[in-house]
Amino acid sequence: MKTDELITLLANQAGPAPKALVVKRLLPAGMAGGLLAAALVVSVLGLIPDTMLTEPGPWIKFAYAGALVLATAWLVSRVGKPGASGKQAVGAVLGIVLVMLLVGFASYISMEESERAAALMGHSWLLCPWTILVLSIPVMAGSFWAMKGLAPTNLPLAGAACGLFAGAVAAMAYALACTEPAAPFIAIWYTLGIALCGGVGAVLGPRLLNW
Amino acid sequence: MTLPNECNYATPLDEFELTLKPMWLRAQAGDALAYRDALAKIAQRLRRFYGRRLQALPDEVEDLVQETLLALHMQRGTYDDTLPVSSWVFAIARHKLVDLWRRRGRRDNLNDSLDDLTEDQHPLAQEELPSRRDLAVLLEQLPESQQQAILLTKIEGLSMAEASERSGVSVAALKVQVHRGLKQLAALVRSDS
Repeated sequence: MKTDELITLLANQAGPAPKALVVKRLLPAGMAGGLLAAALVVSVLGLIPDTMLTEPGPWIKFAYAGALVLATAWLVSRVGKPGASGKQAVGAVLGIVLVMLLVGFASYISMEESERAAALMGHSWLLCPWTILVLSIPVMAGSFWAMKGLAPTNLPLAGAACGLFAGAVAAMAYALACTEPAAPFIAIWYTLGIALCGGVGAVLGPRLLNW
Repeated sequence: MTLPNECNYATPLDEFELTLKPMWLRAQAGDALAYRDALAKIAQRLRRFYGRRLQALPDEVEDLVQETLLALHMQRGTYDDTLPVSSWVFAIARHKLVDLWRRRGRRDNLNDSLDDLTEDQHPLAQEELPSRRDLAVLLEQLPESQQQAILLTKIEGLSMAEASERSGVSVAALKVQVHRGLKQLAALVRSDS
């Protein structure tokens, strides 16, 4: 076949380019996956007691995970466009994590020494990251589907972005049930849980996203 | 995986970009003639791009040019107006090259020594040769409905409305079949190389 023939074929009646909008897929994927994770959390682990809602703990989690949801969604949209730089979006994600680490650290050093170990490890440090990873599975499936609608050229990074987005949504869902009140705990174990999801995504990326 | 240096063949405002961008924007808005010209211009550039990177495999060049053109068409919705068209094109071209090496299991050949020169400074690679594949044979592998949709609109060049009248299929369904057919075609082209 001559390349000219192919070009004619492609251009004939091509019409205007469709807009590959990231929100078209990522929004429903995040919502559906997030609701599923939230339903799972509430039915298996139960909601946190009402009294906790007057404390900062749950709100720090929602704010941290929510900010990461936005930043990682931005990252997904950047790495899905060939030629677009993901640097700023990566910077936003790292910046949010850094702020959380600083908040956790400030809270840690302002505590009595006797309280520190409990604030860092809580009663569920072993559970938290893995729960977030498990809860991220439905969102991860959705975010990979969303990425399949785009054209990633850096597949590990694209996979990581999908995984981090899923992890951040899952962390928000987990915060509905997590009774840990302390900022240092959140800074370490929530971050690790979300990073774990990013790692899984980075491994899956080259396998699932090639086109 | 290391990729060839990002910047040396697509400085944002080179002559290629300057002439391509207005054409491309018209094409994105639905101007088929501009789209044709833009793809022809891109094809020429891709031929050089792949020509110097596949010096040991000259037979692969035109195949990969065609595979990339199909990919560009399928992904044209991911082009962002704020970026140079050439960045978008070459990001996809590099992706297709890496994909080819991966499938052939020869990553090391990605390194090339001509990186200090820009594309313009390179001698023209070989002139266009037909690729080894046959469009008719590829089309035969598609489902009947997709074949017909592509034949009417893409090869005979009928408008969607005319093709709809001729085939008795609605315009919306035709569009879907053309899209699916081209997607399938792109997959076939990729798997046979």
